[in-house]
Amino acid sequence: MKAEIVKLIDTTKCTACRGCQVACKQWNEMPAMRTRNRGSYQNPPDLQWNTWTLIRFQEYVDDKGAFKWLFRKDGCMHCTDAACVKVCPSGALHYSEYGTVGLKSSLCIGCKECASACPFDVPKYSHADDKIFKCDLCLSRIRTNQSPACVKSCPTGALTIGPKDKMLKKAYARAKELGGDANVYGDKFVGGTHVIYVLSEKPEVYEELPKNPAVPASIVLWKDILKPFSLLVAGGTIAGAFLHYITHGPKLPDENGHDAEGKGE
Amino acid sequence: MRKDMIQATDAFERVVHWSLAVSCIVLFVSGLGMMFKSFNFIGTMVGGLRILKYVHNFTGIFFIVSLVLSIRMWWKEAGTFEMPGDLEWMKAAGGYLWHVDNVPEVGKYNPGQKAFFLAVAVFGAAMGVSGLVMWFSTGFPAFAVRWMYVLHALGFLVLFAFFFVHLYLGTIGSPGSLPAMTTGWVTRAWAKKQHPKWLREMDESAKADVHAGGGHG
Repeated sequence: MKAEIVKLIDTTKCTACRGCQVACKQWNEMPAMRTRNRGSYQNPPDLQWNTWTLIRFQEYVDDKGAFKWLFRKDGCMHCTDAACVKVCPSGALHYSEYGTVGLKSSLCIGCKECASACPFDVPKYSHADDKIFKCDLCLSRIRTNQSPACVKSCPTGALTIGPKDKMLKKAYARAKELGGDANVYGDKFVGGTHVIYVLSEKPEVYEELPKNPAVPASIVLWKDILKPFSLLVAGGTIAGAFLHYITHGPKLPDENGHDAEGKGE
Repeated sequence: MRKDMIQATDAFERVVHWSLAVSCIVLFVSGLGMMFKSFNFIGTMVGGLRILKYVHNFTGIFFIVSLVLSIRMWWKEAGTFEMPGDLEWMKAAGGYLWHVDNVPEVGKYNPGQKAFFLAVAVFGAAMGVSGLVMWFSTGFPAFAVRWMYVLHALGFLVLFAFFFVHLYLGTIGSPGSLPAMTTGWVTRAWAKKQHPKWLREMDESAKADVHAGGGHG
């Protein structure tokens, strides 16, 4: 384990140029897909197997009647307590030495368990590949001391990356500087994410952004309780059958007196 | 007819039973290979976890078909309880757990077998439904899919445990019952001990059949 890193997304500095979106596709060699004009600059409409980061465009009128155009770079949050890693049966999704969530594509079997487990709805399934895809925070670049493609491309300084403590300090200083509803999003849940936002509005204002993300209770029940319990119960049953055999004994046709006549039939 | 023997199952019943049994075992083994990292080697043995996934999914289809046939076939005999006889039997636990002088008589299937059949029917159906949702999960809301995983794990817990109970009581736990699912013929002595009421009914209908001029037995 090396020092944890955090990518800081300062949404207040984002101009929605979408350079990060293109740089991500370029570095990861992900094809583009034809989409239709839906009356929004947000394109494609959602994260896709081949679109690991996306600028969300949102028109928002605050309580004072002021119009705001909110831009939020969506993508994997790289949880410390990641639901996707918890459910992945093959180890394709794993924690990297930087605390981020990596994806070894060759191990992925396309079971899609991570896609429903993720509280941020990030992993996306490709039918053609029968595999899951998502951002790995450019692990190959980080390992050679390069910043991720999105950070590298950002012209406004909205995206920065560095050691966790330093980035958190920077995030809180920026939120304080902005004042008002500005806040830091990410360090308080799922063990702390390795992608942190500085938001100008309260988290609940943003579309597709969970207010209190957590590993879903159903996933905990499934993986931490039912899974170990199932083997325990099966073991207990085998032990019980064995005990039954050596104590009570099998049920034989001539066991009871009133059935003795059946013996010679 | 065979001497001192009586036919408990016909060929179709046995084919359906073993289709269900074999698919169940394949599903247990392949499912365990994906459920526990320490069992991932099961995937390696068949050429990778991905292949194990396909084995599991397509065996699931086979299982669903077998289950539907089983439920249709056994519902009448094993899916409904006959009161008060079945209740009396349950109060005595069929004489399996403690000494009972006179085990209450029940029909072809005792309440324990009926409970087993119903558990397989209910949780088997739950496994089929949740499995299909998991397979085609992109068409369902994530919230619903997560609970399907819980249901699938719960179904596994119940069926895997019941499997061992069934295995024990079908072999060494109740000697003489295994032939019911191999040759289909059990000894009259065994039937008299285990299912006396059924034996009487069979004998009576056999007599009736002779008068009526045949029928299958």
